[in-house]
Formats: sequence, structure tokens, C-alpha cells
Amino acid sequence: MKVTHPDPERDRIVRFLDALRAAEAAAVRVLAAWISVCRFDGLRGGLRAIAEREAAHAELLEERLREMGEPCSATLDDVVLDMALARFGSGSIPDEEKLALVLARYPDDASAARPIRATLEQLDHDLETREILRLVAEGEAATVAWLRAYHAGLARDA
Amino acid sequence: MLRQDPGPEPTRVIGLLDAFQAAERAGAEAVGRWIGACADPRLRGGLKVIRARDARHAALAEARLRALGGAPGARVGRELAALCGVVADPGVSDRSKLALLVGRVPVSEDGPLGRLVREVEGDAETHALLETIADDERASLRWLRTMCEALERERA
Repeated sequence: MKVTHPDPERDRIVRFLDALRAAEAAAVRVLAAWISVCRFDGLRGGLRAIAEREAAHAELLEERLREMGEPCSATLDDVVLDMALARFGSGSIPDEEKLALVLARYPDDASAARPIRATLEQLDHDLETREILRLVAEGEAATVAWLRAYHAGLARDA
Repeated sequence: MLRQDPGPEPTRVIGLLDAFQAAERAGAEAVGRWIGACADPRLRGGLKVIRARDARHAALAEARLRALGGAPGARVGRELAALCGVVADPGVSDRSKLALLVGRVPVSEDGPLGRLVREVEGDAETHALLETIADDERASLRWLRTMCEALERERA
């Protein structure tokens, strides 16, 4: 179903959705690289579920953009993605260090979801996208909370 | 010498994962039909996320049970099949469907997967997989409760 978007900030919202879609799709690739060399069974299990969550987000955002009649054209910078794939796919970098790297970007569990929540608050004219983003934001916060809890558990056992 | 808990029998874990993947697959299919008949854009948005996640949970559980040497073959029980039938039925109101779904899990309970997560303790990968999936299920349930309350308020 095609949807129209009467808001004058439509372009900004579309760019945000497309950039988020590209970031989620890239995260799936980085997580797959990490899973392939991950040494901890528990971490591997969590990363598998998180990767599927990110893949679902990317798929939902792509579907929504198409319903809005917008192309999916955003991509992550190749250099940034290649560096992330090399780092998280490296068997010589400890999992603890990779967890610390991810968590350093997010000072608290809500910080990963904050830009998404800020955008959804402006979507009173597009309730379908708003509710998609609301659950995507919950998923992002849950991902950071799980990784933080696992990292803290590793530190306790060390 | 300290001995590590040997964990649950792989065949039991395979059986639990098989039942879970069948339930998630049936749930995703029923929610997909609900979306097709749903006129409320708020509900459609959230239900699309729930459907996508349930389908991926089913795929994750199937991949894990195959990694443990099993093969999927479970079918959903009569009670769950009946529930999915109501959720998929275009003649049943959104409000009734929401009330049915949120009424299955008491507000005091953490979520529908708690027991399953506890039963696979000792198999670290399956346990973490299901624990993370349970986060999604809790978020879905919270959202369904919020929507149920919103629709009740709008009706009053």
C-alpha cells in the first residue's frame, strides 16, 4: 500500500529511515563476522538473536520506505564498514575488547535508542511508521542492555 | 574437583526448540493475516514488527535445533491453533484480539518465555539465544498491553 506523507519534514524523516536501515543492515554483517570467531557459547547465542533482530529492523524499514514510494539508497562508508568487519571478525581480538568497544559508544542502555525515539515523537501524522520505530527503539535498548550485562558478567568471572 | 553442571539432555532441548519454532511460525502467520485485515495504522506498524520478529525467532530456533542434530517436525497444539485462528480472523475486532493476547500472560509475570529459558540452563548458547529472544517477547507484550489500554480508552 502506498502512503503519502504530508509533513514538510518528510525528506528528513525519509533520510533518517534510510540511514537507519543501512546501519542495521551493516550491523548484521559485522555481527555475522563476530559470531564466526566468538569464543563464548553464551555470547554467540546472544549475538545470533541480536543479529536477527537487526536484520528484522533493516527489512521492516526497507518495506516501509518502499510503501512510502522512496528508494533505499543509503550505504555505510566502505572504509568504516571494512574496518568494523576486520575488527569484529578478527580471532585475535578478545571478545571482551569487542564488547567494550560497542559499549563505549553507548553510555547507557537508552542512548542507542535516543535518536530513534526523538524521531518517532515527530511522527503524529504517520502512526504506522511511529509504532514501527517505537518497537525498533525498544530492540536497540534491549541489545545494549544484554551486551552490557554479558560484559559485566565476564568482568566478574575474570 | 568441581564439576560443571552437565546441562539438559540435547534431545530435550531439541524438543523444546522444535515446539517453540512451531509456535513462533504459527504466530507470525496469524499476525500476518491480522495485519492484512487491520485498519488501525498504529496496530499495523507494531504488528509488522512482531510478525517479523516471530518469523526470525522461528528461524533461529530451527537453526539451533539443527545444529544440535535435530530436525523440525513439531505441530502446534489445539489451544495455540485456536488462539491463532482468532488472531487471524478478520471478523474478530482488534480490541478482542488484543485482550485475548495480553490476557494470556498475567501482568505480574515477566514474560511468556521465562520457563523455557530456565529449562535450557546448562546449554549456554541455547540459553542466551532464548534469553535474548525473551527480551523481544517482553517488548511485544508491553506494546500489546499499551495498545489494548489505548483502544479501551478510546472506546470509553
